Amino acid sequence: MTEYKHGRLGQKNAAGCGRGVCRIRVCRGRDVDGGWSSDTKMTGSAFVGSAGPATSSPVSGRTQKERALMNNRAVTAAVRKASHAVRMDARNAPAPGASAMLSGLQLDTQKSLMDSVHKRTDDCRKEPISIVVLGASGDLAKKKTFPALFSLFYHDLLPDDFQIVGYARRDMSDDEFRELILGSLTCRVLDGRKCSEKMDQFLPRCRYHKGSYASEEDMASLDKLTADFEEQRGVSNRLFYLAVPPSVFEDACHSIHRAARGAKGWTRVIVEKPFGRDLASYVHLQASLSSSFSEEEVYRIDHYLGKELVQNLMTLRFANSIFEPLWNHHHIESVQISFKEPFGVEGRAGYFNDFGIVRDIMQNHLLQALALLAMETPVSLSGEDIRNEKVKVLRQVKPLTIDDFVLGQYKAANGKPGYFDDDGVPKNSTTPTFASCVFHIPNRRWEGVPFLMRAGKALDERKAEIVIQFKPAPGDIFNVPESMKSNCLVIRVQPDEAIYMKIISKAPGLTSRLEQARLNLFYREAWEESKDIPDAYERLILDAIQGEKSLFIRDDELRVAWQIFDTALKQMEGDRAPKPAAYNYGSAGPIEAERQAFKLGLQWIHD
Amino acid sequence: MAEMNGGAAMDKEALLKRVGSEKKLHRVDSCPFLKDHLTVVVIGASGDLAKKKTYPSLFALWKSHFLPEKIKIVGYARSKMSDADLRDRLRPFLVGAKSVHGRTDSQVEDFLEHCVYRSGGYEEAEAWKGVNEDLNEIEANSGMLECNRLFYFAVPPNVFAPAASAIKDNCWNLEGGREGWKRVIMEKPFGTDLSSFESLSQHLSSVFQEEEMYRIDHYLGKEMVANLLYVRFANIMFEPLWNRHYIKSVTITFKEDIGTYGRGGYFDKVGIVRDVMQNHLLQVMSIVAMEAPVRLAGERFDEFIRDEKVKVLECVDAIRPEEVVLGQYTASRDGSEPGYLEDEGVPKDSNCPTFATLVMWIRNQRWEGVPFILKAGKALNERKAEVRIQFHAAAAGEFLFPSAGELVRNELVFRMQPNEAIYMKANMKQPGLGDKITVSELDMTYRNAFPDDFDKLPDAYTRLILEVLRGKHAAFVREDELRVSWKIFTPLLEKLESQKPTSYVFGTRGPKESDELISKLGFRYHGGFYKYLKSIPGKVG
Repeated sequence: MTEYKHGRLGQKNAAGCGRGVCRIRVCRGRDVDGGWSSDTKMTGSAFVGSAGPATSSPVSGRTQKERALMNNRAVTAAVRKASHAVRMDARNAPAPGASAMLSGLQLDTQKSLMDSVHKRTDDCRKEPISIVVLGASGDLAKKKTFPALFSLFYHDLLPDDFQIVGYARRDMSDDEFRELILGSLTCRVLDGRKCSEKMDQFLPRCRYHKGSYASEEDMASLDKLTADFEEQRGVSNRLFYLAVPPSVFEDACHSIHRAARGAKGWTRVIVEKPFGRDLASYVHLQASLSSSFSEEEVYRIDHYLGKELVQNLMTLRFANSIFEPLWNHHHIESVQISFKEPFGVEGRAGYFNDFGIVRDIMQNHLLQALALLAMETPVSLSGEDIRNEKVKVLRQVKPLTIDDFVLGQYKAANGKPGYFDDDGVPKNSTTPTFASCVFHIPNRRWEGVPFLMRAGKALDERKAEIVIQFKPAPGDIFNVPESMKSNCLVIRVQPDEAIYMKIISKAPGLTSRLEQARLNLFYREAWEESKDIPDAYERLILDAIQGEKSLFIRDDELRVAWQIFDTALKQMEGDRAPKPAAYNYGSAGPIEAERQAFKLGLQWIHD
Repeated sequence: MAEMNGGAAMDKEALLKRVGSEKKLHRVDSCPFLKDHLTVVVIGASGDLAKKKTYPSLFALWKSHFLPEKIKIVGYARSKMSDADLRDRLRPFLVGAKSVHGRTDSQVEDFLEHCVYRSGGYEEAEAWKGVNEDLNEIEANSGMLECNRLFYFAVPPNVFAPAASAIKDNCWNLEGGREGWKRVIMEKPFGTDLSSFESLSQHLSSVFQEEEMYRIDHYLGKEMVANLLYVRFANIMFEPLWNRHYIKSVTITFKEDIGTYGRGGYFDKVGIVRDVMQNHLLQVMSIVAMEAPVRLAGERFDEFIRDEKVKVLECVDAIRPEEVVLGQYTASRDGSEPGYLEDEGVPKDSNCPTFATLVMWIRNQRWEGVPFILKAGKALNERKAEVRIQFHAAAAGEFLFPSAGELVRNELVFRMQPNEAIYMKANMKQPGLGDKITVSELDMTYRNAFPDDFDKLPDAYTRLILEVLRGKHAAFVREDELRVSWKIFTPLLEKLESQKPTSYVFGTRGPKESDELISKLGFRYHGGFYKYLKSIPGKVG
């Protein structure tokens, strides 16, 4: 009984730090979800075992059962009614001091959100943790992982008692490793006041361990090193950050599973794209991953979900009453999602040529944004509920074919090299560096609304933004010029996060001309005090430590994402692959993309 | 005929030379009066309104090339004065006056050249005959065949009716085959209740045609009030929300941070309800609440707008006395500002309200159940005029964001003064690693959005006089609008006559009963003052 209660906390509860101390937390703070236990039981599902890592052989079947529980509305409804749930909890799971717990909880549920966030942070901070970064000498680790870890430490968000272990094939001493971390810190806290002081505290806790990813022996010696750290400690968790190339991914998973699971707390793995290169390879990869780790232990990063504005999408949509009534095919003409980079592959061609822009950006990042924009209101904003809705809407997306795409490849212009000028790009490559495509979601909400998506390299600007284009105001009582008619809600993810609404307003003064104006919300301006918007990776690593899964991608989400793209990807590769349209480096992309929008009666919105 | 055409062509050429560019010439199309001769007769030229508003506005139009070159402005009042005296009197009010092209002091003398003065009694037929002779002579000297006459009544209400008759009898006929329009601008008060309005109206409509009369409510000349129509109907995303399903309440507020300061004698006869609510705030309310008119541009659009305003006002229920809070200010806490009863000319036992909050219910399909709260007061904590549309809280917000407590409601605010702005209060995720929700504004502050235009926003009177010259009635109050507004307010005013207002201290938010009433109606006040965001300025194409 107790065991199983922990299990649910571990995976469902945002504050779920794993085993052990969770028992205490059940009665406090945000753990209104404690009510889950009884209600889950009431549903009669045969839920056994723990979602925690205690079992050494993960049971993939359990994932399904647990998810079934998650999806159960009766359960989630109970979460909403915290006090009710608590009562049920107290009745069904009598424990020493239950009544005291109850009153404590009821008091706490009334506390502000910030308290509960602090609380969740506080609780997780009490559990020691070993963070093992596999691929510690690689680019991702240097550019993102370590700076994010340091920033979390700087802001006192990491557990108080932690060690960071770098793991890679290269020979390196602890000191060299620390030098490497130090050299890569370009994070937002660097000019913080206490930075060097904090760095002096941080570095000694970083160690390096040389090993091969496939070797169980090497992994076992890592395990020993970690176990030494854990020896004096009660509960102790292990977080593996897999910053390794896809080729060694499976080996690394297996050897961690066999030789380096923690014995005193949870084990979690953070994994990064690519998650396969098509449906079949994804299914294969996932099978391999799930033979080592349960779904609950896996945290798949799509760093776009860690971006401030992408997270804000849900608040914007559901915490305001003014957008949701407009959020449908009655009022929205099109949704446009753009990702533009002003530089080419520049040296990364080897990797890129294998994947192409569609896999690199669209199938993951932009599709995630689309899912958040298009999904229905989730039961709650907890990880499982949000991901249920994302999966649901992605299942409704009409799978793409090559006809839905315009592909492009940049060529030398403006003194910049073309794609083929890059070493490692075969002369007959048909890999697209630009793609635009049109999604249709034929459901009640979105029937007839094209979702335009485009992504490209070597374009005229750096920009990632979402534009929701509204239909023109009905009737024409003003004689408004066509070009100005539509309102747009623009959510700019980068550069300079911003949200604004383009509206039509009277030009000021003695005229009665109409003019486009903006209702502005400039992020950094609006909140000057919080000038440090955290990097996506900080947010994601913190969430993984805290067991909060809403910003990570679930198995079935990825599967459906691949299903949407699979046919089109097959058609654009292989012998009969069409030649992408050439466009100049530094241009707005191939003209065909404009034509594609035009055929739908649309235009790409530029501001 | 040919000669006339030639004349018109010449005018256009001359105009082109004057305005300097072909681009500006399109004005001629929207302002056909620019080609004609114009005489403006300012009745009550020696008064306050004339020197503070009428002449500076005319000057602003002049500087911005919105007046014809062939123009004469004839001041008329009882005081004996020479042309030079009048000019001396006006000069301080013109120097530094605003125009759409910014503050400039040049051209004051040029403008004053065109200003002359005649004295006489307002109902004195002989005097007006003399004026008419002058006008005819001026027009004859201009050599123009198209000559327009604009009569601006800047006089107290008691001389209004007789002066109107005298003018109509003596100054209405042009001589020498000349033709042109005659228009009359009038200012409030248009009566003090329904019956006094009816008798005034009856008299005026026996003298002038409705289309000759332009009744000023200067609120309709405010940039933001003008823009309300545009924002509502030229955008798609507001109108679907603009009804009882999404809107919880509408509050229209007028707050002044000053007292009556010596104007108490006049104010005491009127009170805040007549002074601000029955006219200005009701006008704004009718624009917020009305249905979409047939058209908002092109022929007859002004009548279409006013049709809709009348229609929605007809749907307003009688105001319930229990939903009215009246207040009268007392001296400020530190004693530096006197109370209302201490103002000269105010009777010591005056019941005149200097503050009022009242609620209107519009009984139609769109607004049933949505309170329109009108609030106006003097001697309050700030100076502000705004429309605040409060939406329902996000549905199920407390389930989705359980720890956020009651979610702050969205609000769309049109700030009319000071610092014109449109902003929408919206819930956002607090940036950072927490998941706190915070309120921010989707903001369009004019100062930022239109940095080039902000300092040049024309005064309401400037805009309104131009509309009269263009012959557009949209921004003026039609007779039937006034009638229905008095129908709404007269029964209330009679009931309130003897009611003692609640006292409130100078410089405060007003009587606490007002806040209680508003909160009882479901309005949720939350702190978080609107900040003027330092957002990146610039217009957006």
